[in-house]
Amino acid sequence: MQPGALGVEAGATAVRTPGRPALARGDLVQTLGPSAVLVVLVVVFGLASPQFRSMNNLHSMVDAAAVLAVVTVGITFVLLLGCIDLSATGVMAACSLTTSLLVANTRNALDLGVWGVVVTVLLGGVFGLLNGVISVRLKVPSFMATLGVSAIGIGVATVMFAGVQPGLVDPWVSGWATQRWFGFTQLAYLALGCIIIGWFVQRHTRLGRTAMAIGGAEDVLILSGVRVGPYKVAAFTVAGCCYGLAAAMATSQLGAGLVQAGGGYTFASITAAIVGGTLLSGGRGGVLHSMVGVLIVSVLANGLVLIGVSPYVQRGFQGLIVVIAVGGAAWPLRRRLVVVK
Amino acid sequence: MIIKTHRGTRLSLVAVLAAAALGLTACSSDSSPADEASPAAGGETTAAAETTAACDPADVVLIGQVRNETNPYEASWLDGGDAFAAQVGLSQQRLTYDGESTKQQEQIRQVLASGDAACTVLNVLPNNDSDTTPIVEAAQEAGAWVITQWNKPADLKVADYDHWVAHITYDGVEAGRMTGEALFEAMGGSGNIIALQGVLDAAAAKDRFTGLEGALADNPGITLLDQQTANFTRADALTVTRTLLTEYGDQIGGIWTANDDMALGALQALEAAGLLGQIPVTGMDAVPEALQAIADGNMTATISADGMWQGAIGLAMGYCVATGELNVADIATRAFFAEQTLVTADNADAFITPTLNSSDFECANVFNRIAAPLP
Repeated sequence: MQPGALGVEAGATAVRTPGRPALARGDLVQTLGPSAVLVVLVVVFGLASPQFRSMNNLHSMVDAAAVLAVVTVGITFVLLLGCIDLSATGVMAACSLTTSLLVANTRNALDLGVWGVVVTVLLGGVFGLLNGVISVRLKVPSFMATLGVSAIGIGVATVMFAGVQPGLVDPWVSGWATQRWFGFTQLAYLALGCIIIGWFVQRHTRLGRTAMAIGGAEDVLILSGVRVGPYKVAAFTVAGCCYGLAAAMATSQLGAGLVQAGGGYTFASITAAIVGGTLLSGGRGGVLHSMVGVLIVSVLANGLVLIGVSPYVQRGFQGLIVVIAVGGAAWPLRRRLVVVK
Repeated sequence: MIIKTHRGTRLSLVAVLAAAALGLTACSSDSSPADEASPAAGGETTAAAETTAACDPADVVLIGQVRNETNPYEASWLDGGDAFAAQVGLSQQRLTYDGESTKQQEQIRQVLASGDAACTVLNVLPNNDSDTTPIVEAAQEAGAWVITQWNKPADLKVADYDHWVAHITYDGVEAGRMTGEALFEAMGGSGNIIALQGVLDAAAAKDRFTGLEGALADNPGITLLDQQTANFTRADALTVTRTLLTEYGDQIGGIWTANDDMALGALQALEAAGLLGQIPVTGMDAVPEALQAIADGNMTATISADGMWQGAIGLAMGYCVATGELNVADIATRAFFAEQTLVTADNADAFITPTLNSSDFECANVFNRIAAPLP
C-alpha cells in the first residue's frame, strides 16, 4: 500500500512545485502519519480487548467499513479537485429506493436482478454528472450545487417511497450481506474491487492525474491551455457512480430501500478522506490515503465499543481523536498551507 | 458581480413587497368572512365565545402535520387523518416539515394566517418538546384548535390554554417494561440481554430504557450485558449489533431495542451472522415490516401506539370542538397517556392490516382511550 501512496504524493508535489525534492519531512508526516495513527489505534485496542484481536471482529469491522469505503473512493476524486461533494446522502437515498424497486421486492413485480444494480449505478452517475455540470458550467460553488442535488435526491427518493417501504426479496442482492467467502461477506469483495478500480483510475488514467493537477493548481492548467471543465465533470460523475454502488450495498445490508440509507455517509466519508490525508484544499492524497482514513474511522467506532467506553461519551471521544489525528498530520505542513478556509 | 448584487437587491425588494401584499390580503380575508369568527379571535373571554363560535361542519379545515412521509409510522398518521376526514366529508391538508423546527413553525404561522382560524383544526406532532410552546401560543392567539402529540415540556399545562384541546402521549416507561417482560418470557426467564437505546438525550429514549431497567430489577434471572445507542436508526443498529455479537457471542440470549427500526437493524445483523429467529428481539412503534417479522417468527414483540388512530383522533377531537359538539371546558382530562398494546405473534395479523373503527371518532367517544392522565 505505501509505495503506491508515496508515488502519488511525489507526483502531486511535482505538479505543485517543480524542482522541489520529492518528499520533504512534512510530506512524509502527511503521508505516513495516518498509517501510524491506524497502527497505534489497532495496537491499543488490541491490548485492551481480546475480542478486538479476534478474527471474527476483523470480519465484522471490514463488513461494516465496506459501504463507507465505496462512498469514500467516490468523494476522494472530488476532494482531489479541491471541490467538495455533499450529495452522497441524497444520491444514496434515491439509489437505494431505485435498487429496491428494480430487483425482486415486496412492492412491485419487477425483477431485473443484475440490471437493477447497473441502472442504480448509472443513476448515481447521472446525479454526479448533474453535480459537475451545475458547478462547472453554471459556476455554482460545488458546496451549494451538491447540497442542492442532495435535496433533489431526497425528494426523488421520497416520491418513490410513497409511504410504503420496499423490502428486499432478491436473493442475489440480499446475499451480498450474508454470503461469505473466506469469512468476509461479498460486500467486502465488492468494496475491494471498487477500491482497486478507483486506485487504478486515479493513478493510471488521464482523468486521475488531471484531477490531481487541478487540485494542485487549476489556474496554471488553464493558462497552459488544458480544458479542465470536462475533467471536473467526469470526476463528479465517477463519485456519483460510487454513491450508486454504495447505495445498492447499503440496501443489501439493511434489507430494504430506505430514504435514510445514505444518512451520515456524506460527513463520514469526508472525515475518513481527510483523516487519511486527502486534503480538503485538493491536489494531495488519493484513494489509498482515504482508505487508511476509512479504516481509522471504522476501527475507532468498533474499538470504543469493545473496550467498554460508555455510549454517552463515545461520540465526543471519536471527535477528539479525529481532531488530534488531523491536527497532528497537518502540523509540519502548517507553514506551507498559508490559507486554510 | 455588481450586476448580480443589483439584481439580488431588486429581487429581494420584490419579495418584500409581495410578502407585504400577501400579509394585507391575509388580514382582510381574516376579518371579512362570517362575523362569528371575529369575536373569538379578538375577545379575551374566549370561553364565552366558544359556544357562539361554532363552525358549520363543512367549513372546518383539517390539518395534519408530521415530520416526513418517509417514515412508515408518520405516513400512517396522515393516512388515518385522511380516513377521518373522509368520514365527515372533508379532506385533510397533509403537512410535513422534514424534522426542522423552524419549518414547522413557519407552516403553522402560514396556516393560521390564511383562512378562517376559528374553524381550523391542527393535529400536530411537534418536533421537540420546546417547539410545542410556540405552536400552542400561536393557535391560542389565532383562535384555532390545536391537538399536540408525543412532545411537550413538562411544565407547560394544557389546562392553561382554552384552544389547546388535548395533548396525547404514551407512557414510555410502561412500554419499555412491557417489551422487556415479553423478551424475558421468550427467553424462558433467564439469560443475558443487550439493549439498543435511542437518541440519548431524547425523553422517549430515556423513558423506554427506564422501563427496561424496571423490568430487569423485577427479573433477577436476567443480566444486561451491555447497552449502546443506535440513535433510533436501522443502519446504526446494524453496526452496533454486529459489534456486540462479536464481543459477547453466544452469551447473548435476547436483544431489547427502543424502536422497531433498530430492531430491524438488529435482525439484519442476526441474519448476516446466521442467527435469525434464534435470538428474541423486541422493538416498539409497530411499523409494518416489524409486524411482518413478528408474524414470520423472526421477532418477538413490539408496542403499537396505533399511528392511524393518532392521526385520526386528533382531528376528530378538534372537529367536535370546532363544530360545538364538545366544549373544551367540559372535558375532564385533556392531557393523557393513551392506551398502547403489546403486539406478539398471537395478535400481529390484526395489526398488519390496520382498520379504523368509525365509532371511535364520534364526539361522545373521542376521549375513550385514556390510560392515565399526565402527571
